[in-house]
Amino acid sequence: MTRPASSAAPQGAAIAEGGKAAVRRPFRWKDRMGLVPIAVFLLVWEIVSTLNESYEYFNPIFLPAPSDVVKEMWYLGQTGLITESIAASTVRILLGFLIGLVSAIAVGVLMNKYARVEYWLSPILNLLGPIPALALLPIFIIWFGIGEVPKVLLIAWTTFVPVLTNTLDGLKSVNPTLIRSALSLGAKERHIFFKVVFPSAIPSIFVGAQVSLGLGFSSLIVSEMMGAKSGLGYIIVDARNYFKMSNMFVAIVLIGLEFSLFSYLLKLLERRLVNWRQNGVRNAVEK
Amino acid sequence: MHLAVENVEKGYADKRVLKNVSFGVDAHEFICILGHSGCGKSTLLNLVAGFLQPDRGSVTVNGIPVKGPSKSRGVVFQDHALFPWYNVLDNIAFGPSVQGKSKAEAREIARKYLKLVGLEEYADSYPDQLSGGMKQRVGIARALASEPDLLLMDEPFGALDILTREMMQKELLRIWLELKISILFITHSVSEAVYLADRILVMKDGYVAETFRVTMDRPRDIAHPEYAELVRRIQKILTDDQGEGIHD
Repeated sequence: MTRPASSAAPQGAAIAEGGKAAVRRPFRWKDRMGLVPIAVFLLVWEIVSTLNESYEYFNPIFLPAPSDVVKEMWYLGQTGLITESIAASTVRILLGFLIGLVSAIAVGVLMNKYARVEYWLSPILNLLGPIPALALLPIFIIWFGIGEVPKVLLIAWTTFVPVLTNTLDGLKSVNPTLIRSALSLGAKERHIFFKVVFPSAIPSIFVGAQVSLGLGFSSLIVSEMMGAKSGLGYIIVDARNYFKMSNMFVAIVLIGLEFSLFSYLLKLLERRLVNWRQNGVRNAVEK
Repeated sequence: MHLAVENVEKGYADKRVLKNVSFGVDAHEFICILGHSGCGKSTLLNLVAGFLQPDRGSVTVNGIPVKGPSKSRGVVFQDHALFPWYNVLDNIAFGPSVQGKSKAEAREIARKYLKLVGLEEYADSYPDQLSGGMKQRVGIARALASEPDLLLMDEPFGALDILTREMMQKELLRIWLELKISILFITHSVSEAVYLADRILVMKDGYVAETFRVTMDRPRDIAHPEYAELVRRIQKILTDDQGEGIHD
């Protein structure tokens, strides 16, 4: 009998074993999320901008150097604008994303359980789902004013559609043999749902959540560019009005960082909840 | 415990899979159902498990008709059907836990059965980390943890390599002798059936073509002339295309 694959699958197994001490691997640059390419990219940008400042191939204002962006960020940080904007944007994305996620899962569960709910909702959602959420923003603003409500609702709606599709997909693709085995062990309907059907849908729900997070961020920024007085998107519009290119870059960098952070947190949560999964190319062939 | 399958018929669409099948299983009996793929043996097991209902005839346990799955009839599946999101211990504790035992009690029971199948060290492993044979041991332990009277096994060792398979057969006999339950075991391996069973039902084309009672002492020796003779006779029935009259 072969030994379990714990040694063959370093990542998954280390997480799965939890308590046991994980083997610390030596530090290697290539493990660090491609820091080298990013550093090179910034360096090239810096050089191009600096050269451009002396030789003026084009107006230097168009492309501030990374060092200028950092300086600008520091300055804006001092005024408190950055903290304020990040706080405003974070509240909006968190609220919208959570509302969208929870309601999509709830609706997905209901549609999966009651054929009648699916009969009525499915065609309507298929009709509305593909409409780019951003096209709805002006309508949302007219309906709900320019406060927080239309922004949060827009983000919730953009989150809702992909999560719902993936939740349904996950709920429907549960292996029927698992249900049979649970039934033969004396499981009731609620056990079947909470211990078999829902856990098997969780990986799909996370796929939907990752897609939604990206779309939700676009909705956040665009809704802040139209009718807002705070937030990272607002910095961009405001900077455009005063032609302050470096401020725009500050906002863009912050948006990128915030999205990366949220996406990372979501992946971390996924890894915790779906630690039983051992598939993908990484586990197929050891390198 | 007495399982009675009487005049059972079952079909899908226009194809009749089972045509008038009758047999019984008594307490502490080891029955093998043997046949080619597509002969209806898995359908028969699903009927006994309560996953399917017969079109005609009856399936009863102690005189009570089987209306659905029950914890008194444990099932071991060919693809093991372990819950990938639970570790080995919680997979085995699933039955006791949904039957109303507290988490600690359920785990206590699970540990007992994990020990029975010899996998104590792997309590915290996930099914994906185990080999095929180990998964099937967990599958057996999980079915046994509900303390069923009858264990239904659907080609449980079909996907295992020959060495693991022989070891699992020995293990199964040991567990069966220890727990004194009844086992209904489905297989397409003639040798496996002769090695394990008290009685072998040879199925062909939806009928029980013939029944053999095996009286050799266990552990049975493959090299024994009686063993070889029985294997030969059963193989003849399975390969004999003119044997349609046998079921009458």
